[in-house]
Amino acid sequence: MGKSVLLADDDQLLASLLNFRLKKGGYSVHHSANGKEVKEYLKNEMPDIIVSDIMMPYCSGIELIDYVRNELKSKTPIIIISSAGNEQNVLTAFELGANDFITKPVSPTELLVRIAREINK
Amino acid sequence: MAISKSKDLLGQLSQLERTVSEFSFEELNTNDANELKDSFNSFRNSLEKHIYSPKTAQIAHKKNETFDTVKKEVSEKQFIANVSHEIRTPLNSIIGFANLLKEEKLTQGQHKKVNAIQFASNTLLNLINEVLEYSKISSGNTNFESVEFNLHSLLKDVMFLCETLIVDGKVELLIDIDENVPKIVKGDPSKLSQVLLNLLGNAVKFVDRGYIKLEVFTKQRNDNEFLVEFSVADTGIGITQEKIDTIFNGYTQAEDDTAKKYGGTGLGLTITKEIIEKLNGEIEIDSTVNKGTTVRFRMPYTLGKTTKAPINKLQKSTDKIDSELLAGTEILVFEDNKMNQHLIVEQLTQWGCTVHADIDLDKGLYLLSSRKIDLILMDLKMPGQNGFEVSKAIRDHKNSRVNSVPIIAFSADFTEQDSKDCKEIGINDFLLKPYTLDNLLNIILKNKEIKNEQTDFSSILQKPMIEPKETTVLDLNHLMKDCFGEIDMLNELVKLFKLNAIEFIGNVKIHLKTQNLKEVALSAHKLKAGFAMIKAEGMRNLIIELEKSCKTNQPEKVEELYEVFLSDYPILEDNINKSLELMNKK
Repeated sequence: MGKSVLLADDDQLLASLLNFRLKKGGYSVHHSANGKEVKEYLKNEMPDIIVSDIMMPYCSGIELIDYVRNELKSKTPIIIISSAGNEQNVLTAFELGANDFITKPVSPTELLVRIAREINK
Repeated sequence: MAISKSKDLLGQLSQLERTVSEFSFEELNTNDANELKDSFNSFRNSLEKHIYSPKTAQIAHKKNETFDTVKKEVSEKQFIANVSHEIRTPLNSIIGFANLLKEEKLTQGQHKKVNAIQFASNTLLNLINEVLEYSKISSGNTNFESVEFNLHSLLKDVMFLCETLIVDGKVELLIDIDENVPKIVKGDPSKLSQVLLNLLGNAVKFVDRGYIKLEVFTKQRNDNEFLVEFSVADTGIGITQEKIDTIFNGYTQAEDDTAKKYGGTGLGLTITKEIIEKLNGEIEIDSTVNKGTTVRFRMPYTLGKTTKAPINKLQKSTDKIDSELLAGTEILVFEDNKMNQHLIVEQLTQWGCTVHADIDLDKGLYLLSSRKIDLILMDLKMPGQNGFEVSKAIRDHKNSRVNSVPIIAFSADFTEQDSKDCKEIGINDFLLKPYTLDNLLNIILKNKEIKNEQTDFSSILQKPMIEPKETTVLDLNHLMKDCFGEIDMLNELVKLFKLNAIEFIGNVKIHLKTQNLKEVALSAHKLKAGFAMIKAEGMRNLIIELEKSCKTNQPEKVEELYEVFLSDYPILEDNINKSLELMNKK
């Protein structure tokens, strides 16, 4: 069984492509487009890595990092997808414990490399 | 020919019937379904009547005994021509209603079956059109003309067109015209282009690498009569002698199964041969499998007297001043014939026009209402859709922006009745085929001016667009690579993308009304990734600009950009569909 990825992104188009590529890369993927749902999911299951967009309905990527690190006390690697020109968000994400970030427009190949690097650290 | 083709036709037909009968009309329970069923039944009845009616059986029977075979053949062809012609009308309704049916809420299974109906009926329609053309020519119902034309220009036009058909640069297209070949000759130029396009088009299809060469020289000269020999040589896959025989003779030898083997396209060469022979020419094929094929044909021509023959030259000297006048003109072209469509689009684009071709009525109406179209070119005798009806639908449209656009009709023959019909419908002008580029340019300029008078200064405000607009450019290759070349995934993503774009259009419309720029910005933000994926940088920049304008609270600018999006997105989507279609074919 391949490593598991939680993909939190409300951009259906990007999520479909990433989902496809992750599965091709041998990962098992759980995708959610809604921050609240992501939190629920994490209560019962902890994936090998979390990839999350910053802007999401109900719970932003920033809140999600805070939740994973401070409430669930988990060290699961988190990669943040951020929009270009949003340095402040990225800095906040790092402060809260994000491991890496990738800027939109996302190259799936680059993201896969970053995921593999985080998982194998 | 007649019998084997009829068999093929019946085979196609029973396939169509199977699909229709498997389809659950009861579940559907709509008017469309009933009408589709009715159409199909009347179609079947008319076909059966034609094939099994005692009258025809009697004639066929009698002929066997008393008439000579040549006459029998002609009559058979005539018969097939009549049948094919009459089958087309109900078949068009089947296709039409199947299209309507597809717009209903269907289950996945039903959708699949409607697709099958569409596929089968379109195949059948193509087959019937081919049969019709073949029998028209071979039964002598085609008009051959004898006019003076510039042979050299015609050859160049044909080669230019073929060049556009070669997609990857691995095939070289060569032309060698002997200097003794006269420029102005008398004969049938449109039939010659049809023959050459058919042969060269075939070569393009079957040659992967190497060359295709057209050689032309004069064979023999008696005063002002001479034979011109054309030779089309290629380095393609070649054909066996057996196949050559079937193509050239097989169809006339009745009960033969080759038609099935060659499918709907097998008639192309046979039609070519018929045309050449009807024009008192000869054709021969020389081919070695895996080496290549050379097709030679000779046609008699007489020397043209005048030097003022129609100039069918492509661009170059076509006065710059005139073509500059056309730059920025946006034109809809209704033309079913792909070759003609291609040629006219190439030419109009070179004159700086924005052209929308490959459209049906619905798409045309959509473009007319969403864009500023200056002119419509309408082929009246399209096999698929009737130009008169399309024109009437445009004129009857309630939107004055749609119904006032000038329509120029073109057709190969133009009867008194046609002229009356055109006037009644409100078609502004007409052009007889084959037309020269000068004819085309002049008629467009003339009718464009009419429009200018009507609309005062609106056309002056329009900026000329020679290059395709930046906002309509895209490239799917990148995304295809991201999909590891899996076309299904690409199709899926493009489908999602289009849905997102439609959602965006709706959302922004709503939020602009209430001046909720925050929501507009959010919608724009979400769309950016999609445009990045399909490498539509121009449109992506527009969306970024729109998002920015929301954040800096400039509602007027937002609205202005949104308007541009509304007018350019349909073209972009059109371009997406076109390149996706190409990739699916590959």
